[in-house]
Amino acid sequence: MAKLGGWTGKILRVNLTTGVFTYEDTSKYKNLVGGMGIGYKIMFDEVKAGTKAFDPANKMIFATGPLTGSGVPCSSRTNITSLLPSNPYNAVSDSHMGGNFAAVMKYAGYDAIIIEGVSKKPVYLNIKDAKVTLEDASFVWGQGIYNSTAQIASRVGKEACIAAIGQAGENMVNLSVIMNGHSHSAGGHGGIMGSKKLKAIAISGTGSVKMAGTGEEWYNLNQYMLKGIIGANNQHVVPSTPQPWAEYNNKGSRWTAKKGLTWGAANEPIETGECNATDQNKIGYRTMKSTFDFGDVAEKYTVRMGGCQSCPIRCHSEMDIPNLEKFGVSRYASNTCMGYFSPFGVMFNGVKDQFEKGDAKMIGGTLGSQLADDYGVWCNYGNIGRDLKYAYESGTLKKVIPAEEYDSIPWDKLMNGDPSFLIDFYKRVALKIGEFSHMGDGSYWLAKRWKFGQEFWDSHDVGLWSPLGFPKHHSSEAGAQVGAILSCMFNRDAQSHTHMNFIGSGLPINVQKSIAKEKWGSETALDAPLNYTPMNEYKAKFAKWSVIRNCLHDSLTLCNWMWPMTTSPLKSRNYRGDTALESKFLSLVTGEKISEVQLDLAGERIFTLHRALTVKQMGTTDMRGKHDLMCAWVFDMDPDKKAFTPGTIKMDRADMVIALTMFYKEMGWDEKTGAPTRATLERLSLKDVADQLDKLKLLP
Amino acid sequence: MSGQSKQSILERETTRRDFLKLTGKGVGGVILSFSMLSLFGCGKSKEVGGFALSKGLLIADRNKCTGCQRCEVTCSAIHEGKIQPYISKVKVSRNFNYGLVGPSLNYMASDGEYGNRLMNPETCKQCREPFCGNACPQHAIVSDPNNKGARVVMKDKCIGCGTCTKACPWHLPTVDPETKKSSKCKACGVCATVCPTGALKLIPWADVKATLNKNGYLLG
Repeated sequence: MAKLGGWTGKILRVNLTTGVFTYEDTSKYKNLVGGMGIGYKIMFDEVKAGTKAFDPANKMIFATGPLTGSGVPCSSRTNITSLLPSNPYNAVSDSHMGGNFAAVMKYAGYDAIIIEGVSKKPVYLNIKDAKVTLEDASFVWGQGIYNSTAQIASRVGKEACIAAIGQAGENMVNLSVIMNGHSHSAGGHGGIMGSKKLKAIAISGTGSVKMAGTGEEWYNLNQYMLKGIIGANNQHVVPSTPQPWAEYNNKGSRWTAKKGLTWGAANEPIETGECNATDQNKIGYRTMKSTFDFGDVAEKYTVRMGGCQSCPIRCHSEMDIPNLEKFGVSRYASNTCMGYFSPFGVMFNGVKDQFEKGDAKMIGGTLGSQLADDYGVWCNYGNIGRDLKYAYESGTLKKVIPAEEYDSIPWDKLMNGDPSFLIDFYKRVALKIGEFSHMGDGSYWLAKRWKFGQEFWDSHDVGLWSPLGFPKHHSSEAGAQVGAILSCMFNRDAQSHTHMNFIGSGLPINVQKSIAKEKWGSETALDAPLNYTPMNEYKAKFAKWSVIRNCLHDSLTLCNWMWPMTTSPLKSRNYRGDTALESKFLSLVTGEKISEVQLDLAGERIFTLHRALTVKQMGTTDMRGKHDLMCAWVFDMDPDKKAFTPGTIKMDRADMVIALTMFYKEMGWDEKTGAPTRATLERLSLKDVADQLDKLKLLP
Repeated sequence: MSGQSKQSILERETTRRDFLKLTGKGVGGVILSFSMLSLFGCGKSKEVGGFALSKGLLIADRNKCTGCQRCEVTCSAIHEGKIQPYISKVKVSRNFNYGLVGPSLNYMASDGEYGNRLMNPETCKQCREPFCGNACPQHAIVSDPNNKGARVVMKDKCIGCGTCTKACPWHLPTVDPETKKSSKCKACGVCATVCPTGALKLIPWADVKATLNKNGYLLG
């Protein structure tokens, strides 16, 4: 009989009110896999409907899964589940962070950490393997994340991985983050830690993640993935420029390495070169993210790429820009994607080049990301900047902010493209200075407080997807109805990348369509970009597969910004990846044979539990009418064009009604309301959930 | 075939000895000269360490190390059958945040992810006079003829006292808290095999010899 590997088997529960630690067996959550699945079940069972995010009765769950820390590529993701203050119902959501934290949590011996209650004074949780203590955090309360982390590390040891909040979290700003490893942040739940007076969790672990298979089997399966299946960041599998080894190339690809391109700020510039798809010693060079995000000017400031524990894809840019010190921040900066883009977006009138031609985006991004990360301010997936733009240009700010405060804000800097405006901006938001600081409430609460007009919601430029106040995130522009459905499903911006990784792989549309046919039954599951067709059942299957894999990855935990491996960079594989790879790794690590189909069923279970939780918290089964909503621009943009004509991503209202119906059907939910039925809950072994919803009269 | 194979192992050992003479070092662990390193495509940086192992020349280039720790997970998977970076024979994660010395007032400009972003990958030097082996009260660290002469821990003799960890100037041998047994690098090179940026690179002695000969050095 093989030993059961993967899980540590232990969950730590920390009651901050009493200071008592208790330990629970993970096995009761086994059919929910881990991570997100554990988080949802605890929230469903233990947090009453109607509880608000900052109430003492709210809980937060830091959870990992059986593959976290197991050395499977891209597997150090922490899933944090709690009520989300920026959501109008404070409905449950997840925030995620990469870095080292999740893996170290496993090595310390915990699958999950449940935080409940409220501490009387600021504390940090110090975990060293089995030894757990709560320590006074007064000495760092009021400080930013960077200094707090360094101060705590100087007490607990340099090896510790520390997840901390900044002033934004302490002050219960709705839009705040929890961060570890300098640039790995989980957006939305920083304020929950602040409300509980928990400044940080410091964790170090000397133990192991056990596996049932042998080291050699583990090595061979890793080699199989690394030498022909894994691509570049977001599982882009063709290079961005023509290269001798590659049949295809695509300008949009994040496989940006090429001859002559260097990590220019390394002590001796290191050439990324061409990275052949089978050369595992060059995987870390494939994604040259700094020039992808900032343009050519960034090359000479690039120290290297960085990223998470066990991930060979290095998607964070680690920069050394000496001129940043002129703004009072470190010359060194790290981040990727939205971490860099959102501060630049706050500068809605643009940033002027600061020190040399073409450096505007780089300086704005690296300065702003350091400020936002240190204060711990979240951006609501980039919408904070678009909220500001609307509030300013509509004249709202002048009306709602007292004159004296208004005049103290350096608007000239904002309008003149001086990025030092960001210094003022993030400080006001994080420290809750004045009326202006409500920028940190999130779009829904801000629009309500400042009485934004309907055009705020209707505008494509503002970019809100949902009347619940969250923005588009690979929505209708990504796979038409597929992206649109996914964007309606969660209580914040959809963090589902399954479909986007596939659509953005860089392969020609005919190759993608042939893969779509194999996966979801028809080539029509996927539309070509800007050339959409009406809804069909194959798109519903594609959408379902995308969201359940997303939930599965956040439970196993694997990075959904890389997984699943739908495609491959190899012509010899006919560009087919291996979507059974998660189940192969899980079988190897745990010793329990599990098929791809069985694992997808677990993903379906987890996502349906999320749905049940949303029904419970919103107190209605009418998901279609109250939750799965889209802002008007989705249907009204491009007034000169009709939906399903070339050149537009405009959607059709009647078609989206059909789209949701088809999706509900695929999920086995009530087709009228979109709420999970008893039959489906029972099919997914969630009878207790069905019983509880029944008691609350919340079954369709 | 077997005769040929034996000969090639002997040849490698000769190359290693000559290499050490050439670099003027009496121990296995050497920081190679710039000109020597440049022969192996390592530029002129001060940040590159070269270690003459029995199997080949192990290059650790901190400029290329991105801190992914795949070397650590692979080392522990292969040698211990579990994933446990703490007992990995190559060390990256313990220096990840704040370098070798830990957080200082100047942490923002010092080594590590919270500083200048430079990693400190540490690898066993396979010292000719091994501090770990000499200090071991059980004489449990020996040169293993079946493992190309690398110093290895005899697990049945080890009592997990940690003397080797303390004796090693780099504190590389590590006692597994789960088994109470120490372990150290066997110079297998699997860490280099899987490094996604080639920051760890094991160059076989045959290639070292060819490269040096081509560049006017005479070895072996």
